[in-house]
Amino acid sequence: MAKDLREVRLEDLPGPSSKEELEEMKMPYEDYCRKMFDVGGEFGKPQALKGIRWLSTTMYIFTPHSVANLAELGAEVIKIEMPRMGDPMRHTSPFNEAYLYPLHDSRPMTGTGFGFLGANDSEYHITMDYHLDEMKEAFYRLVKMSDGLTECYRHGTFDRWKQSYRYLQELNPRFIYVWGGGFGYGPKIFGGSYDILGQAHAGLASVTGMHDFMGGHVAKHSNWCIDWYSGTLITYGILAAMHWRRKTGLGTMIEFSQVQAATRALGYTVPLYGRFGIVRQRWGNWDTQLCVHGIILCGKSDFPDSENPQDKYDARYVMVSAFQDADFKELCDITGLKELYAKYQAHKDRVEAEPQVEIYAALEKWASDKSRSQVVKILQDAGILAEPVMNDREVYECEHYRQRGTIRWHEDPIFGDVLLQSTYSTGLMSETPRRQSWIWRPVGADNVKIYHELMGYPIKKVEDWYAKSWI
Amino acid sequence: MCDIIWCKKEIDGKVCNTVNYLDPYCFWNWEGKVNCAECGTVYYIHMIQGFMYKGPEEKPGEKPDTSPLVADQPLNGYKCHIPGIEGRTRPYQCLPRGIYLGRADMVKFSKRGRLVRGWRPQPPSSGIAGSFGFNWDAKKLSPDVWEEYQEKLRKGEAKDW
Repeated sequence: MAKDLREVRLEDLPGPSSKEELEEMKMPYEDYCRKMFDVGGEFGKPQALKGIRWLSTTMYIFTPHSVANLAELGAEVIKIEMPRMGDPMRHTSPFNEAYLYPLHDSRPMTGTGFGFLGANDSEYHITMDYHLDEMKEAFYRLVKMSDGLTECYRHGTFDRWKQSYRYLQELNPRFIYVWGGGFGYGPKIFGGSYDILGQAHAGLASVTGMHDFMGGHVAKHSNWCIDWYSGTLITYGILAAMHWRRKTGLGTMIEFSQVQAATRALGYTVPLYGRFGIVRQRWGNWDTQLCVHGIILCGKSDFPDSENPQDKYDARYVMVSAFQDADFKELCDITGLKELYAKYQAHKDRVEAEPQVEIYAALEKWASDKSRSQVVKILQDAGILAEPVMNDREVYECEHYRQRGTIRWHEDPIFGDVLLQSTYSTGLMSETPRRQSWIWRPVGADNVKIYHELMGYPIKKVEDWYAKSWI
Repeated sequence: MCDIIWCKKEIDGKVCNTVNYLDPYCFWNWEGKVNCAECGTVYYIHMIQGFMYKGPEEKPGEKPDTSPLVADQPLNGYKCHIPGIEGRTRPYQCLPRGIYLGRADMVKFSKRGRLVRGWRPQPPSSGIAGSFGFNWDAKKLSPDVWEEYQEKLRKGEAKDW
């Protein structure tokens, strides 16, 4: 080190003395990512939507999820449920007592089902029968002090109750109002929706499932993927509306039809019809555009002695992708199906329907005396893309998800130990990560916090409303 | 009915020819032994999703786990064994088998052995208008379960995963 500090030379300073050395000193990129995203350290970082207050008069999964996205990113969300009953989703799924108690003081023998999970987390739960004239004033006051509202009633219901966008924007011109429902205005304006209805009406179910000749049916996805998907699309709309409001100072009305949103997931189906008049068919675990690119059945389970049928019988499926000519050649070599390669060297030949039937049948025959893991190993060792089709338990035990915090145990302040996947499966953010503060709260758990502490109503009044079942 | 067992057992030179009806309520996903309602021959079957995965295989000398719901003999004037005949058909109680009776499974601990607030009834909140505090103090509000949990911790039964 130079004696005179004013004459410190760059190379004498601690740290890298050249660009090359700097490069050398950089931590490996994977370690850098681990440090940046710091799984488990989410609560030590700021929240992107802190300062936003959102009202949620939503039910089931679709519209609640659009708001849960905001709550996980830091917005203060007030979920308003019907007094004593709560969101019907609390009582639906899954059946047979997978419940967490309590639901509400007045109903000690009723719990909330896990189906509620992930669509209403980190929110404040109050109760209000907002269509009563007596509660209108409280409702309007909440609107005045909030940034937006998401509702899911039949089209025009809130308008009839004088709380649609055209009423609320007069109270709060910056208000962002979301209606999420089945069809929206048009010939089926009063049609409600569920996930399955969205999948059916949008044409998605017609291209899902195995073909007739394989013994298949039109199929819906088992979980409510269109509910989760449509809810997320609403969130994008809300974030864009908030950005618009920063520029103009004005609110927006978002009218979101679930069946309409589901058509977006159809991909090339619609333009295909537009150009050729072809109505797309379903092709199940195979692919109409690529071959080989599908899921095959192996002969032996990976867990033949397990008691669980998912393990015992279903741990037999492998996803395999070898549609490039070189990969397909390798696949045929490794499986001893060289005559198939000789027959279908060009992709355009093997992607036709009949060759696909022949190729997949031959592959399944080859796999018929092998277990799932044997098939995966043989294919992966040959450099072919292959992965086992995993079940829930395997996902839980998967090291990849554990390291990234996708599946994690959550110590809920009210309900205790719960295994979660939803919040932390939505992409990592280095500066303002999503987090789940609590899975949900009992019906009306925050009545005093919101009505008294936030809005300033006297406790006497809150108790009076409660006694009358208005809240 | 998800399937039948057509009993072809020959007894005293005569084929039994009884159709034993396997109802989905009991047999949809089922593995075990079931008797023929007429001759009592015991068959082993294994059904998955209503599909006869294995069997019927005769198991002479073994005891049946259950009986078919109903049986008849189409080649013999549809002679019928109605439900609920002891030893022939299954007792008719309008109930599915035990595991589907839907009795509440009151879980107090998660799969990794940590405390879960999942049993009922729960102590009421002390709050106004149904309000709940942010934290449930298990030690104070559910001391017996808390004790059980301490025991689990001592035995090392509460794990990380």
